[in-house]
Amino acid sequence: MERVFLQMARREKAILSLLLAFMLVALTACGGGGGSSDAQGSGGASGGASGASGKSGDKVTISFIHWRGEDVKTFNSIIEKFEQENPNIKVNMDVYPSEQYQQIAQAKLLDGTTGDVFAALPGAQFESMAKAGLFVDLTNQPFVANYEPNLIKAGAKDGKQLALPLQLVYNMPIYNVDMFKKLGITEIPKDWDGFLAMCEKIKQAGIIPIAFPGADIGPGQFMNPMMMNNAPDEQIFQKLEAGQAKLTDEWWVKTLTQFKELVDKGYIPKDSLGVKKDAAGALFAQEKAAMLATGSYMLATEKQQNPNLHMQLLAPITVPADKAVYEGIHTTTFMLAVNSHSKHQAEALKFVEFLSRKDIAGQYANETGQHVTVKGVEYTSPELRDTIVWASKKTRFQPRYFITNQDVQTAVTNSIQAVIGGKSPEEAAKEAQAVVDQKIKK
Amino acid sequence: MKTSKWLYLFLLPGTLLYLVFFVYPTLSGLYYSVTNWDGISPDYSFVGLEHYRTMLTGDLLFSKALGNNLRFMLVVVLAQSALALVFAMLLVKNTKTNILLRALYFFPTIIASISVAFIWSFMYDPTLGLVNAALKSVGLSSWALNWIGDVHIAIYSIAFVQVWAHTGQVMIIFIAGLQAIPEDLYEVARIEGAGRWQTFRRVTFPLLAPSATIVVAYTTIQSFKAFDLIFAMTGGGPVNSTEILSTYIYHTAFQNYKFGYASAESVVFMLIIALVTILQFRLLRGRTA
Repeated sequence: MERVFLQMARREKAILSLLLAFMLVALTACGGGGGSSDAQGSGGASGGASGASGKSGDKVTISFIHWRGEDVKTFNSIIEKFEQENPNIKVNMDVYPSEQYQQIAQAKLLDGTTGDVFAALPGAQFESMAKAGLFVDLTNQPFVANYEPNLIKAGAKDGKQLALPLQLVYNMPIYNVDMFKKLGITEIPKDWDGFLAMCEKIKQAGIIPIAFPGADIGPGQFMNPMMMNNAPDEQIFQKLEAGQAKLTDEWWVKTLTQFKELVDKGYIPKDSLGVKKDAAGALFAQEKAAMLATGSYMLATEKQQNPNLHMQLLAPITVPADKAVYEGIHTTTFMLAVNSHSKHQAEALKFVEFLSRKDIAGQYANETGQHVTVKGVEYTSPELRDTIVWASKKTRFQPRYFITNQDVQTAVTNSIQAVIGGKSPEEAAKEAQAVVDQKIKK
Repeated sequence: MKTSKWLYLFLLPGTLLYLVFFVYPTLSGLYYSVTNWDGISPDYSFVGLEHYRTMLTGDLLFSKALGNNLRFMLVVVLAQSALALVFAMLLVKNTKTNILLRALYFFPTIIASISVAFIWSFMYDPTLGLVNAALKSVGLSSWALNWIGDVHIAIYSIAFVQVWAHTGQVMIIFIAGLQAIPEDLYEVARIEGAGRWQTFRRVTFPLLAPSATIVVAYTTIQSFKAFDLIFAMTGGGPVNSTEILSTYIYHTAFQNYKFGYASAESVVFMLIIALVTILQFRLLRGRTA
């Protein structure tokens, strides 16, 4: 009898041990998911297994995270070169879709196991990350000198260079050069009346003057060149968030009125609020539209869709020619940074240094079709060569990025959508300002 | 007695997982809802019920999102339940054709919501989309609308997609309910001379009440959680016309870095779902009884 009880007790112990082991495995599996498995699960492309930086022999593994899935091929080749030059460092790259990047990055960067090197967006994301102390100060790193000083300000805060914007983007419409020539448009208008006359000419030829992705990126992109001269004060959105400027003021109501004019006259199609970036891009690539209200980052995609396209950038000047302060808009983004929580900061810095080299930045630029902020890079693609003339023009840093509160930013772009949807500029501005008032109080 | 005590141990893994992945995050959410945590910084401070006060008294977007959510829910619950019931009635018999049709109607449910969203976004495109092209090709040009670009109809256009994607799923629940009704009752109704409508009203509908309760509660929760569809199709736009509570909470937390405020929104969101579900259960329980 005693033996039977003993056997039962042993069996119970075994069951208990099994249960505990199962629980441990389950919890470890659930809690320990990091790195690339998460990236793949969330739909992101991955350059390899990631996760914690670790050692394999003497080799140090660093993690590089960003959101540009379209650049994976180029980065893989760059990483290969880096690993050849630095045999003791292995780089694992994880790419998260841009809309998920913010939520994933902030969580992963904090524990220091992922994102020894990471990319950040200027504006609200940069500010939050800086506030959280996620950046290693790069100010005294010699490779900072490789960059154009006036193009890396977006990554600086309180006199410290915390991140290095690699990409240089021009956020203004692309136009079809050959189509313009064919229509007899030889000179880009220097004032608002000229811009309207040009649009009319295009419309009369049966072509959509401006393909506008109003359902997604259009309002946030096109608002920049549309307002740059209506409100030349670069602090205008800081003032808006401080309650010192209002959307009901002349500068924004005028901008909205000009948007309305473009819609009412049929230069921006009335149904644009249902059109997304890809559809607007397709209209432009199919030469059904003469301009595409996005930015230079679409040059490569458009060229891929229609290799015969010859493109250039233009910005509508919304004031008389003599009152124009700016010729266009630029943004420096894809800001490279080293995680302050990283255990391999020296190796991470080495990788950023490598990416900052003229030849490597040049490879990145030419293969991905993006301008870069690194000095002396030679562009080989005709689009990049043609549009780099904008580097010497008077362009303004994208005003929208100065809006640090996302709700305020949405209120601003919503007012453009409201006008395109048929609301009066005054009413749209008033409604947007009501939201701004509420949000800046909170 | 000893064995039954051991049986409780088998509940432990599930209970632990539930505590770790539901109870703990919920309590954390409650805690963060009274702080001003930005989601990244290690520091935050206690703000009391400030977020709740702001949300319930002076947050235009929150009330707009709630209004949109209720409209979306109403359309989805009514249309999806009614359509699913009709399909279930038509396909209740286990014939080969019916089984094939059931599988066909169920098919959209197995497609990932994000794929559904992308497919329908392209179909709804006003210039290149299939919907308007089809309408124009049959001479219905005036019906060709700016489906997800018009602030007045965008939420309904997305509701249509939600109904399209999930009617087949709900139909299966109704079919199971219908098949559980004893055939004798229909026979009695026939003998008593009841017509089709009377049979439906007096036999089918009352006995289908338990399934209807599940369907309505499930569809309600589903429509409150239609995050992925809306996020991928419109992102809440244009002009917040498709912003629902879940997308608004996402924007507050992950774009605006206001985790404290987003936690407070989530708490209210959870209470709203609980309230609506309890109300529905109470209303439908009467019928079930």
